[in-house]
Amino acid sequence: MTTTNFDPTSGRNPAMNPAIAMSPTAGLSEGRTGNRSRAGLAEKISVRNLDFYYDGYRALKDISLPLYDRQVTAFIGPSGCGKSTLLRILNRMYDLYPKQKATGEVLLDGNNILSPKQDLNLLRARVGMVFQKPTPFPMSIYDNIAFGVRLYEKLSKSEMNDRIEYSLRRAALWDEVKDKLRQNGMSLSGGQQQRLCIARAIAVKPSVLLLDEPTSALDPISTAKCEELVDELRSDYCIAIVTHNMQQAARVSNFTAFMYLGELIEFGDTESIFTNPAKEKTSEYITGRFG
Amino acid sequence: MTEIALDLSEDVTVLRRARRQRLQDVAFRTATLFFAVLVLLILGGVAVALIDGAMPAIRAFGVGFVTTEVWNPVTDQFGALAPIYGTLVTAAIAMLVGIPVSFGIALFITEMCPTWLKRPLGIAIELLAGIPSIIYGIWGLFVFAPFMQSTVQPFLIDTVGQLPVLENIFMGPPYGIGVLTAGLILGIMVLPFITSITRDVFETVPPMVRESAYGLGATTWEVVWNVVLPYTRTGVVGGVMLGLGRALGETMAVTFVIGNAHRISSSILAPGTTISASIANEFTEAVGDVYTSALIAMGLILFLITFVVLSAAKIMLIRLQRKAGA
Repeated sequence: MTTTNFDPTSGRNPAMNPAIAMSPTAGLSEGRTGNRSRAGLAEKISVRNLDFYYDGYRALKDISLPLYDRQVTAFIGPSGCGKSTLLRILNRMYDLYPKQKATGEVLLDGNNILSPKQDLNLLRARVGMVFQKPTPFPMSIYDNIAFGVRLYEKLSKSEMNDRIEYSLRRAALWDEVKDKLRQNGMSLSGGQQQRLCIARAIAVKPSVLLLDEPTSALDPISTAKCEELVDELRSDYCIAIVTHNMQQAARVSNFTAFMYLGELIEFGDTESIFTNPAKEKTSEYITGRFG
Repeated sequence: MTEIALDLSEDVTVLRRARRQRLQDVAFRTATLFFAVLVLLILGGVAVALIDGAMPAIRAFGVGFVTTEVWNPVTDQFGALAPIYGTLVTAAIAMLVGIPVSFGIALFITEMCPTWLKRPLGIAIELLAGIPSIIYGIWGLFVFAPFMQSTVQPFLIDTVGQLPVLENIFMGPPYGIGVLTAGLILGIMVLPFITSITRDVFETVPPMVRESAYGLGATTWEVVWNVVLPYTRTGVVGGVMLGLGRALGETMAVTFVIGNAHRISSSILAPGTTISASIANEFTEAVGDVYTSALIAMGLILFLITFVVLSAAKIMLIRLQRKAGA
């Protein structure tokens, strides 16, 4: 079986099945992976027939999947499969670079964010992102968090202090830095820096959080803290996390999307993907036979 | 095992080679140390030669040399205040014009420039840096100064020259040549230096840091002002200092367009002079020990000004770093 191609009989390829093309997520629920936990979940983001091109090279091929509100969705797959690319579409980060183009639809609360009319700065304020490496700005811990808030809100000093304490508490960093908020953010340890970046993303009150391998540069203890944090944040945000660490995906996510060579091979609730994957390629990957 | 692991200590040729390598290493270290010390020797030698040459003038005029404006070769009365003033004012004008424009160019190239325009722009900047100063001088005298005289200066006199306080700065007949013209030419001359250095340091900002700022919803301006500039502070100050150093010491182009008048006037439209322009202009006609010595003493002052400016920049950077807590 050539697992890189969609199996037409599974009804997963929208192009093959016009009825499903209307609602890509409907087709997914019929798979063997089951759909126990999906009733009553709100689709925060709907990716529909998404293609992505780097200067003519097709990096994503006809991706359709939902991201549910207040759920964590993990993206796994070997390097270069397009996970990060997909994440960078969700806040249109790719727009910073010439010759990158996305076609299809990405609906955030029903609005197509790929539309040229979409205001990029507003979109990015609503869709926060945390990167592979900690990226504190060259300013104090306080200002690192206040920076994003000041862009869109006029807060009084006490309101700002509250917001900063709130964000740092949510990011489980408050106790470690509350006495040195005026210190440079770059003086923190790697794990603290990464939590600072998460606090910074939360501070602007986004509705979606994109985490692009957020723990790949961290030690095991910091990684554990960040994972706890993701678990904490689940209750308020729609979270998408790209990870190379399969145990991490299994630990933190509710849903998992397995991608390979720019295609979405399988999407389903995490337990099913890891215990009973529908596709042979998925099972090969999660058991470590390739990738 | 014994066949694989050679006993090196017994082998005479190996021992000899090891000895030779050790000697080479010592020779290399000594040579590089010598070159490094050479820098200090040259710097010290220049300072000593300048002080020695300046002694007659210092003995004759004392501190009065830097506080008096009189420059009279006939009566052997020399005061360096006018050239010092001219040097500082032209350099200030050059920086005022050069820094914002350079930053604008560097930011455009790194942040907003379409790919196809990046290379041509970069090459143009490098070409601009490569133009010999004499060409700026000729261009300044025959093209730029007449333009200043016919257009810019009359405009300044008629507009800002009519305002209170500012009228003192933009006063007098439009000569074309003068302090402002020299400052503007200097601004053009330092532009490629500041631009190429700031562009290079702007490019050292990791893309992820930049994307994080964009990711919070910041505009290009907010990213540049709040993230890129603080991130590259040291390099940017270095680039500005390089430009300032050039503006302070530039000779040929300034000599052409500044008017070479040993006087201080409140108006930047009036002719003036700078230290290096005076030295270049008058060295050949300097008769008598005191005259020559006065020119060398001005060289010493320029040396000191440059030193003070560089030190001030270093101190400023240390202060900034301490304030940022890094």
